[in-house]
Amino acid sequence: MSTDSGGRLEAQIRLPLDTIELDVDWRPRTDTVAILGPSGSGKSTLLRALAGLEARARGTIRFDGATWLDSDRDLAVPAWERRVGWVPQEALLFPHLTLRQNLAYAGAEPAGVEKMAERLFLTELLERRPRFLSGGERQRVALGRALLSKPKLLLLDEPFSALDRPLRSLVANMVRSFTQETDMPIVLVSHDDADAELLADERWSLVAGRLNPE
Amino acid sequence: MSEGKHNLGNLKHQKLSCRLSVVQTKQWLRWAFAVQIIVPQGLAATVALGVLAPSQDPTSAPDGEALVVLAASSLQDVLPVAAHAWAGAGGTRVRFNFDATSRLAPQVFRGAPADVFISADGEWMRWLEERASVDPSTVLPLVTNQLVFVVPRDAASAPTTAAELERSGLARLALAGEDVPAGRYAKMALEMAGVWDGLASSVVRGGSVRGALEWVAAGEVDGGIVYRTDARAEGRVRVAFSLAGDGFPEVLYPGAVAAQTRNRERALEFLAFLRGPEATAIFSEAGFGRAGAGATPSLQQPLQVPSSIIDPWSAVRLSLVVALGAVILGLIPAVAVGWMLARRDFFGKSVVSMLFMAPLVVPPVITGFLILSVLGRRSAIGGFLDGIGFPIPFTILGAVIAAMVVGFPLYAMAIRGAFDTVDRRFEEVSWTLGVPRGLTFRRISLPLALPGIAAGAVLAFARALGEFGATVVLAGNMEGETRTIALAVYSLLESPSGRGAMWTLVIASITLSLVALLGFESLSRWQRRRLEDHHVH
Repeated sequence: MSTDSGGRLEAQIRLPLDTIELDVDWRPRTDTVAILGPSGSGKSTLLRALAGLEARARGTIRFDGATWLDSDRDLAVPAWERRVGWVPQEALLFPHLTLRQNLAYAGAEPAGVEKMAERLFLTELLERRPRFLSGGERQRVALGRALLSKPKLLLLDEPFSALDRPLRSLVANMVRSFTQETDMPIVLVSHDDADAELLADERWSLVAGRLNPE
Repeated sequence: MSEGKHNLGNLKHQKLSCRLSVVQTKQWLRWAFAVQIIVPQGLAATVALGVLAPSQDPTSAPDGEALVVLAASSLQDVLPVAAHAWAGAGGTRVRFNFDATSRLAPQVFRGAPADVFISADGEWMRWLEERASVDPSTVLPLVTNQLVFVVPRDAASAPTTAAELERSGLARLALAGEDVPAGRYAKMALEMAGVWDGLASSVVRGGSVRGALEWVAAGEVDGGIVYRTDARAEGRVRVAFSLAGDGFPEVLYPGAVAAQTRNRERALEFLAFLRGPEATAIFSEAGFGRAGAGATPSLQQPLQVPSSIIDPWSAVRLSLVVALGAVILGLIPAVAVGWMLARRDFFGKSVVSMLFMAPLVVPPVITGFLILSVLGRRSAIGGFLDGIGFPIPFTILGAVIAAMVVGFPLYAMAIRGAFDTVDRRFEEVSWTLGVPRGLTFRRISLPLALPGIAAGAVLAFARALGEFGATVVLAGNMEGETRTIALAVYSLLESPSGRGAMWTLVIASITLSLVALLGFESLSRWQRRRLEDHHVH
């Protein structure tokens, strides 16, 4: 399966937002893509549409030869069958579960959980519950939880916004090596150029609901 | 760009504080709402009566020249006709208040403004004489009535004598309440026929004789004992035999002038008119008999203070069992409806929502009547349930269903609120992790809403404890089976000797309600605290 020739993901999506309409026709060339744009430009919504969380999305989404959405044919693969790793900006850790239980939620082996915790510097915190964590710790858990679900595509929404500078590059390197090991493409959205530099080979900007290459 | 972000942050902050004040307002509303809903209405009225009654001025003049007459409810068709005749013969206008004698007599005793009291039996009249609430020298027997045994008009067979009742295989037999004269006369009659002991367990007590008659007419019971005059007016029943003569008690209506009257002369004239030839014709037209002059047998009997033995703790225990049953029976439907209202959008959602919320505003008596029409023995569903051994009317199951239905809106609404506090993006994250809807519900939504669901259960429990109206219609008022706290209090209201038991029940009920409200409040707070961390970053 190709890693750099493009063509693994293609999306034509139309989706009304509060004030504008998201209307993208998108075919990234590489496996690490950043979408940049100001707050409120619809980046997060685009990511949610890819994950299968926007029921009002129209158009087509194809990934690796599979069709996830084809509104003309009334086809929409539900979120639980798309196998995407969605890391929302607010982390959204399950508040009633410990970190260990959050990481193992998708059914990962205990050894895999331990290893992931180590790579994300979370080993000491495994028995805690999310409300006792800092924002940065939460983002790392959310990332680990998504990676442990063995996704085919990783969707990162402002993944480093709560991390200190030194930690950002450590975590970014970890994500890069993990996704290369597992041949997992990344789509990252951010308002911050620096995030894109850390992880993405290709950049797009989302302005007024349209996606343009940079 | 960073300025834009800043502004957005401010906006979020404003939204948040706005939401907080809404939450606080809701909190107040909820308390007021909950107290109003949970304390049994009958109980609240009792307490209000206890507080307010002594302040009534018993000497206040009746309005204008009208004579105020409190009379047994079995007279409500005939007395106005007699009063009209009296007005034609130079009498004054008469205002009536018809109710069960057992409810009216305590009102007269407490000083309700009245000029004339007409009882359906001698004992309640005697009770008032002893308390100087009526003038003993004015007590006069006015008319007589007879008890009859009625069956639904289309009943296949019917007993022809009281002695046959025991062998006739009647499952349910309706009588008026045990302190209502018609109910006591009926019991006396059955005792005299020697069949009471065998029938006692089949007896269902309606509040008034009209209530018992309605049950027979609707076919919910196999038969009942009512006054001949009532049976005459009801086309859906037929008289199987009468309980008169041969040593059966004579049903006698004595009248008297109330002690606090300010129209004594007029009141005496009215009583005299009722014994005169013109009124006697009206009474006999309606099926009443003429009372002999002088004292009557039932007045000569030694005074039995009307009382029923109501064990308050049995009522409390039963209330707890019924309320618990209602909570358990309603759990799955309430979670399903709460979830649907919180999470699903579909065409006609507001109509469905309104339907489920209706028991909150529809009078419980009407709710009870509707349940009876759906689950009564004559209905398809009720008949089926009856056939497989789960009869609903007049059983503890009926009491549980009544309490469940009436408490359901609170139950489902509280659970809907609990699901509303759960950010649905938690569910979305779970989906993207490969966990489908049903399993996500079990692993995420349900555990996160659990304290709120428990709060809803406690609220429904509290409401079930206070249920009265639907229960009395659907399940009757049967000691040990359906007589819950509210029903026991209502029965005790008609029994002047039961004041001690009454206050036990009042205190038990208020204590239980407040404990349940506290439980509801702390569970709700837990639900909010548990999740609030995730709304603020």
